[in-house]
Amino acid sequence: MKIALVGQPNSGKSTLFNAVAGYRSLTSNFAGTTVEYTNSRARVGGDVIDLFDLPGFYSLNPANPAETCSREFLLTGDWDVLVNVLDASQLARSLELTLELRDLDAPLVVCLNMMDEATRKGMVIDLPALAEALGVPVVEAIAARGQGVVETFRAAIKVQGTRPAAPPRRILYPQEIEGALEGLARALSAGGERGTRSGLPREADADRELRGREFPRGPVAVTACVMVESPAPAAVGTKLPNLRGQALQLLESDPRRAGQLDPAIAYAVEAARTEIELRAGQPADAAISSARHAACLNLFERVARVTKPSADWREQVDRLLMHPVWGYGLLALIFLGFFRAVFDLGKLGEGHILAAFESLIADLGEVLGSASLGFAVVKGALLGTAGAFAIVLPYLVPFLIGLSILEDVGYLARVGYLMDAAMHRLGLHGTATIPVLLGYGCSVPAVMATRILTSRRDRFVAAFLAVLVPCSARMTVIMALAGFYLGAYWALGIYALNLLVVALAGNILARLWPEIAPGMLMEVPPYHRPSPRVVLLKTWWRLREFVVVAMPLLVAGSAVLGLIEFFGWQAAINAVLSPLTALLGLPSAVGLTLIFGVLRKELSLLMLMQAVGTTDVHSVMTSAQILIFTLFVTFYLPCLATLASMVRELGRKLTAAAAGALLLLAVVISLLARGVFHFLL
Amino acid sequence: MEPAGELDAPMTLYQARNHSYLKVLAISDDWMTRRSINQMGLYAGDRLHVLRKAPFGGPLMVKSHNTQVAISRQLAEKIRVELVP
Repeated sequence: MKIALVGQPNSGKSTLFNAVAGYRSLTSNFAGTTVEYTNSRARVGGDVIDLFDLPGFYSLNPANPAETCSREFLLTGDWDVLVNVLDASQLARSLELTLELRDLDAPLVVCLNMMDEATRKGMVIDLPALAEALGVPVVEAIAARGQGVVETFRAAIKVQGTRPAAPPRRILYPQEIEGALEGLARALSAGGERGTRSGLPREADADRELRGREFPRGPVAVTACVMVESPAPAAVGTKLPNLRGQALQLLESDPRRAGQLDPAIAYAVEAARTEIELRAGQPADAAISSARHAACLNLFERVARVTKPSADWREQVDRLLMHPVWGYGLLALIFLGFFRAVFDLGKLGEGHILAAFESLIADLGEVLGSASLGFAVVKGALLGTAGAFAIVLPYLVPFLIGLSILEDVGYLARVGYLMDAAMHRLGLHGTATIPVLLGYGCSVPAVMATRILTSRRDRFVAAFLAVLVPCSARMTVIMALAGFYLGAYWALGIYALNLLVVALAGNILARLWPEIAPGMLMEVPPYHRPSPRVVLLKTWWRLREFVVVAMPLLVAGSAVLGLIEFFGWQAAINAVLSPLTALLGLPSAVGLTLIFGVLRKELSLLMLMQAVGTTDVHSVMTSAQILIFTLFVTFYLPCLATLASMVRELGRKLTAAAAGALLLLAVVISLLARGVFHFLL
Repeated sequence: MEPAGELDAPMTLYQARNHSYLKVLAISDDWMTRRSINQMGLYAGDRLHVLRKAPFGGPLMVKSHNTQVAISRQLAEKIRVELVP
């Protein structure tokens, strides 16, 4: 059986999913982390279930594309039971979606997650009363600690195929709305009998136009279900929304999309809208959602009691961390301390591990004969392994752990608030801080996270800036080259320069392509103690990509480079790239490394060591060359994986434009650095 | 939804003072804007508390129904509010 986890962003769906499905889905403490659904088979008791973790969405008529993905999935009807995960501490707001789901008459189980948080807020929730009022099973859970997870899925398994004891309960809207709904449902059923499927492709086109670009999974117009499913009475087990539910969906949807409907249906929708508008004195969708909101608050009043919470230390912390002056100082301090710690820890590891590999390679040289083909390959592969273990991991692991902690604590969302005004200078708003900040970890999830932004323009700008920001792979290059050979403050200087470039690039983009987006609107989650399990698992989830994809590439790439060197082919490749390397004042031997750097950014570092034939780069390159090489690698092209995700999110043209701009930018910056070094130092 | 009188001159959320307690009178007529504000649990008729305002024309942080929401200046200007005692 197929169970779909649905709920508002940051309600803990992914935590619930991971609790039974192993760690496949990324959770964090801000809204919009899951932007694509994840599917896994899990075993609960004796039953095998197919589990779908859908991106969080606030409403069935969503305002951003990440949420559209979930709705599309829901409307395909390819599931048996919905598990609606709620943040119990946000019960009032979360119930809005639950009530919307009730209007679909779908088999439903409500999981009240984060009950500990609710208790801390002083909330007492009457579960039986809520179950009674909604007419569905309600299970309480603290998914982060694994409590209530199995119970939730058991309830979901039980609910399938059983006819509910009471008729499904749903909101009774004000008379004018119910009347209009009835009329529209009749019109839909007539339309359905005529089998108007012909309108579909046209709708998809129009939808694409409206949204700017096709979404990876292909858009499904709001009305797809209306056209595809022949009208059936709302029987138990009907997966697709009943006619009344469909009518509600149509009335609440964006009026601008009415043009995509079958003309007869569009006419009926317009008539129903007008009827409501005249009688309620406000737009139809506002009348419906206000009525639901009222029902929701009413339900909340009935089932929950909020006692005065004890003096909350979080408020005190926020007063300090979000202070208009100290907040920014602390922000700078936190990130400075964070990067300093990563650098120190990384350096500690790098020195020891590198020395061990050096002596191992020297020993092997004696055994195999330093001029043999075998040694060339083994040495290459070992240097690759050394690079992964000595150079990348010592920096990457502390960085990812630190980022996960900041995220899980809830600080990243605060950064969004603090940075909103500054981000406006970049033509973005505070929400875009999240993808841009994620860019410091890995560009791939950062590019994917741009999907939380509503306009295509914002997604492009945010993705461009997120890619411009040095990811953890480039951080290892910066730390291990500039940091290790020139000093920590040089590494910090590169970060500062990068920030400046990001600011300038954002500013220029904002001028070239002015902002039209409505601005930041974001839930700020309460602080919570980071769960070591979540932090470690999240670190692993991000690290796994490096270990399973990049490490084999590193080792194989290094071995190939060893071969190329053994046969003396590198000269030809380097000759092709020599105009570029000469322009930048770099030894021509590094030409090849830049090509490998596009595979994975860390490769350029390892390949550099391989190309210059030693792990002590300083003995063959000057400080200026090390700096220029680092700068060039920091800015030039994003790695293949990033390029691939950019193509998915932005399309080929924009990706090509971004890549070209980045390459040009890297050359300009490296040349400037060369000039500065030449004339000043 | 019209302003009640001269004493209750309508103001936008952005104009509201820090730490004030407010009631939402109306939210922009634009579907997308209204929708996205609604999604944060803010509807006409709801009460909210301005927790803090960021400097340099930055966002506001408001609390409503026990949820903290950060709202940018542009959106806050599309929400009409009145002071509640």
